[in-house]
Amino acid sequence: MAETATVQPRRARRVRLPAGPYLLLLPAAVALAGVSLYPLFYGVRASVTRYLYGRDYGYTGLDNYRHAFDDPFFRDALWTTAKFVVCTVTIETLLGLGLALLVSRELRFSGPIRVGLILPMTIAPVVVGVMWRLIYDSGVGVTDPLFQALGLSAPEMLSHNGTAFIAVVVVDVWEWTPLIFLILLAGLQSLPQEPLEAALVDGAGRVRLFFDHTLPLLTPVLLVAIVLRTIDSIGTFDQIYVLTKGGPGTATRLVSIHAYNTAFLFTQYGMAAAMLLAVLAAVALLMVVAVRMMRRAAR
Amino acid sequence: MSARVHRIGLYGGLALILLIVIFPFWWMVDTSLKHPVDIFGGVTLYPHNPTGDNYSRLFDTYHFGSYLVNSIVVVTISVVVSMTLGTLAAYSLARFPLRFGLNQSALVASLIVRMIPGILLVIPLYITLARWGLLNTRLGLILIYTGLNTSFVIWMMQSFIAEIPRDIEEAAMVDGDSRLSALWRVVIPLAAPGLAATAIFSVIATYNDFLIALSLTSTPKAQTVPVGVSTLIGKIQIEFGPMAAAGVIGAIPIIIFALLVQRHFVRGLTLGAVK
Repeated sequence: MAETATVQPRRARRVRLPAGPYLLLLPAAVALAGVSLYPLFYGVRASVTRYLYGRDYGYTGLDNYRHAFDDPFFRDALWTTAKFVVCTVTIETLLGLGLALLVSRELRFSGPIRVGLILPMTIAPVVVGVMWRLIYDSGVGVTDPLFQALGLSAPEMLSHNGTAFIAVVVVDVWEWTPLIFLILLAGLQSLPQEPLEAALVDGAGRVRLFFDHTLPLLTPVLLVAIVLRTIDSIGTFDQIYVLTKGGPGTATRLVSIHAYNTAFLFTQYGMAAAMLLAVLAAVALLMVVAVRMMRRAAR
Repeated sequence: MSARVHRIGLYGGLALILLIVIFPFWWMVDTSLKHPVDIFGGVTLYPHNPTGDNYSRLFDTYHFGSYLVNSIVVVTISVVVSMTLGTLAAYSLARFPLRFGLNQSALVASLIVRMIPGILLVIPLYITLARWGLLNTRLGLILIYTGLNTSFVIWMMQSFIAEIPRDIEEAAMVDGDSRLSALWRVVIPLAAPGLAATAIFSVIATYNDFLIALSLTSTPKAQTVPVGVSTLIGKIQIEFGPMAAAGVIGAIPIIIFALLVQRHFVRGLTLGAVK
């Protein structure tokens, strides 16, 4: 009697499958680990391994890291990436904020306008690269004839260092401003209306209203947008690969392009892994910040 | 009067912005329908002698048939599998208090996996697939896309499932359903809009991926559409007509998808940071 009393609840609990939830989680966990933890572990291993013509020649300590940072091309690529990220994210944030403020009001055709504005970021970055290649090209493109029609000399966008850099920044701005615009638009539309109306009643002007009320309320969302975009921007690869392959010279060679070449053209997997892990350290910091802010914003 | 000027300025400005957004698309479509002579014949804003040659050459000489088949096979299988794995995991995270703070940490982990730039994963993945003999196979791509996508599905579906009241499925379980049949008969139908949005986003992300497919495949046997598009550029002399046509083919399925799900865009693209 006493025995059945103690056994009964335990069995009942077992019927409820305490392991069930973990079993549901297991396959996904394996899949996630397979494409993140495992490669990461492998990447760390590769970064301390010497490779020659793609073959593994054993442990070399921190040589790859030392060589990477001694390599002027890598430092150059870091600098180019920094410039690229700062330029693109700044311009996209300003334009995206402006657009969001413009469209958040009651507008006619706001549906089609929004769809139109969203399109660039939905199509494959490779295709975006193709589109702009067709625009910039000196033989078949539009930019050179346009400048000439305005009485200026043809810029031959992709043939010179300075213009090529501007060209890839413009492409990135074209493609990703919509993302910041969308995030901020959603943010604006979920702002509480009362403080804004109260301020309007108090006679605050448009500009005052924006800086004193809208912007502070919007800041959390704005920061999420900036951090997400920064992480993505650091990893930019596709459009550049299609447009310039990092050229002319090293003008648009971002870290991603340089690491890709190091790994797949020169089969220096160890060096490439070391470069990328160094970048990952910076990205990881941003990701921690992003996760914190997103969890707070979601609440 | 000033309000009217303001209005005209506003709509004029928006029209200009839309023009800048749309023009590159139009120029690509325009180029894809021109004969080579016309492509090099200066700027014309529509094809004066439209031709489908560029498109037929894509399929005759540039293997676009195989690229499309590869893309469809890889995208379909990896999205179906990752939706299944991810939704089960998301259900577990949304409904059960788990040990070791798993509810929170698993979500964060899936978010982080989603955010890691592809270039950071590609080299180790390359070495791993090479070891298993899975380079240049659809299976290799499917495995990797499934894993990456699962993280996105978990993150999205957890928030959709958490919004469904527990009472409904508990009522079904009182009526004799098991946990899994309650999930299948009650939760899944209620989460259908979320499932659809997540699936369509997964399709877009997987279809558009370039870097992973570029690094891990090397022949039309396994290459996907974006890689196929890029093969038209590497040549010494670029064939602009077929390249433009390839771009159009690469973009069209996704534009259609995007128009279908525009309402869910913010949530998907921003990883649910803003609802």
